[in-house]
Amino acid sequence: MSWRRRRESRWARAATYLALATVLVLWAAPVLWTMVTSFKPHRDIFTVPPTFVFQPTLEHYRRALGLAGGRFIESSQGGIVPSIWNSVLVATATAGLSLLIAVPAGYAYARLRFRGRRPLAFYALFTQMAPPIGLLIPYFYFLNRAGLMDTYTGLTAVYLTFSVPFGIWLMITYFEELPRELEEAAAVDGAGRLATLWRIVLPQARGGVAVTAIFSFINAWNEFLYAAVLTGTESRTAPVALFGYISTEEHLWGPFTASGVMIMVPVVVIALLAQRQIVRGLTLGAVTGARRR
Amino acid sequence: MATRARPGASAAEAGARPAGAAGRRRRSGQLAQEERFAWLLASPSLVVLGLMTTLPLLVLVGMSTFRLDLAAPFRNRWIGLDNYARMLGDARFLEGLWITAVYTVVTVVLQVVLGLALALAFFRLRRGMGALQVVVLLPMILAPIVVGLAWKTLMLTQLYGLVDYAAILLGVGSRPWLTDPTLALVSVIVIHTWQWTPFAFLVFLASLYALPPEPFEAAMIDRANAWQVFRYLTLPMLRPAIFIVVIFRTMIALRAFEGIFATTGGGPGTATEILNLYAYRVSFNSLTLGYGAALGTVLLVLTTLTSAVFFRLRREREAVPA
Repeated sequence: MSWRRRRESRWARAATYLALATVLVLWAAPVLWTMVTSFKPHRDIFTVPPTFVFQPTLEHYRRALGLAGGRFIESSQGGIVPSIWNSVLVATATAGLSLLIAVPAGYAYARLRFRGRRPLAFYALFTQMAPPIGLLIPYFYFLNRAGLMDTYTGLTAVYLTFSVPFGIWLMITYFEELPRELEEAAAVDGAGRLATLWRIVLPQARGGVAVTAIFSFINAWNEFLYAAVLTGTESRTAPVALFGYISTEEHLWGPFTASGVMIMVPVVVIALLAQRQIVRGLTLGAVTGARRR
Repeated sequence: MATRARPGASAAEAGARPAGAAGRRRRSGQLAQEERFAWLLASPSLVVLGLMTTLPLLVLVGMSTFRLDLAAPFRNRWIGLDNYARMLGDARFLEGLWITAVYTVVTVVLQVVLGLALALAFFRLRRGMGALQVVVLLPMILAPIVVGLAWKTLMLTQLYGLVDYAAILLGVGSRPWLTDPTLALVSVIVIHTWQWTPFAFLVFLASLYALPPEPFEAAMIDRANAWQVFRYLTLPMLRPAIFIVVIFRTMIALRAFEGIFATTGGGPGTATEILNLYAYRVSFNSLTLGYGAALGTVLLVLTTLTSAVFFRLRREREAVPA
């Protein structure tokens, strides 16, 4: 009998499931309540006690999407839609470029022998620790000078600073897990190094590539601080638009929650589809780091 | 990319392969070729990180020695260390330093304690683990600003917020969660803890699963009680994981921004104004970039020192540094 499968008393098990229910409720409440509120008629949102049973409505979604007339995020037609489109563009570009840059670098640091390998890998790690506000001040100055303020290019370039180091470290751990025999066999067959990487190694590491793309996309999709300062009417991303809206229209929880749900849904879907990979990616450095002891 | 890149690669391969050379020379040729290939692969990332992180940080330090007031550009000039001298007499900076310390220490301790408790409570769970993992994943991967705004409006608004309603039901009564200075700090700490305890939980869970079963079986045979097992087996064996969680979470707490920005904006007054927020306000509300850069430099030094201390501690504890 393993210690993990130790038989518990009925009471202990009941207590565990009670604790589980409590934790599930506490952790899900803010997100669930946002979703519930987005379907509530306006008059049912501000009630004491809170209304739990109501006639669901799509009114707030129509308004958030700019279909119902009424002002939502002034000075822009189509409600939250243009800013969601901006977010899609920037997040996709960030994910694509991060793959192009981080995957080869991760391979070099994981597999190839060259001078400066360890210091350079650590350099990538340390760049992640720079305080965002400390980077933002020079970016603000630079992008103003370069005329890249409020452009997709500027924001994407800035986003690479967090997605590339993260991607490199993620890919290092994935490449290190692959058996070296793959490359050795390919070398014996006379395949070039790049051909080996592209045709033999990458297909084996595609799980890692997918996780790197997912994290780059999600992090860029969610980012607020850089976007709040470095974008304006042309390239404002959805989180910034949402913040601007709720700051001026504090009482309009309906369209706010509807837009919030639209920002959260893609990430929730990804989380459901790739739950295990995301858990692994998030805790990767921590778990392997602790185990290396 | 494959077809475009392959001819180049095979040419490099052919050039580096000395026909009929001695084994040793061939080996060193291979090494040189491997090194060139490695630099080729790593260089795009080095260019990006150099241009986008190292260079801006140097510029940041440079900017901190200037008066750079975008609202009054005619007064801009080099002022040496005056920005830093100003900091020493700036009560708001000193208070921000203190709030940052409180915020960081309290949130990290709470995350470790709660995360460990939850991991121990649930790692024997047979059903519901999938649901639990998805639910605790959400706070970490959803947009922090959206989640923060949801807390501010739907959870913490007096009368209409869920938390306030629960407080009334529990007999605590309706409270000004975000407008009372002490309560506001408690609220932003709770929100950060809610958001990031799942990280500690998931790491501890994975570490618990990875523990060798033999010591625990021996303890069972010796009839050790649950507390003894925890105190003398589980806790010491989890120490590396705890240490890693503390490092990761401290670094994240030091860069906290969205949660506070969305809920209190640093207020009421400056009650929740951590240094990040103060630097933001100085730079982008008052547009005094020079002083903002000096605050940013201090943050950079604080972050670097903290991580250096952690890595030093870690190296002392273990034979092989990771």
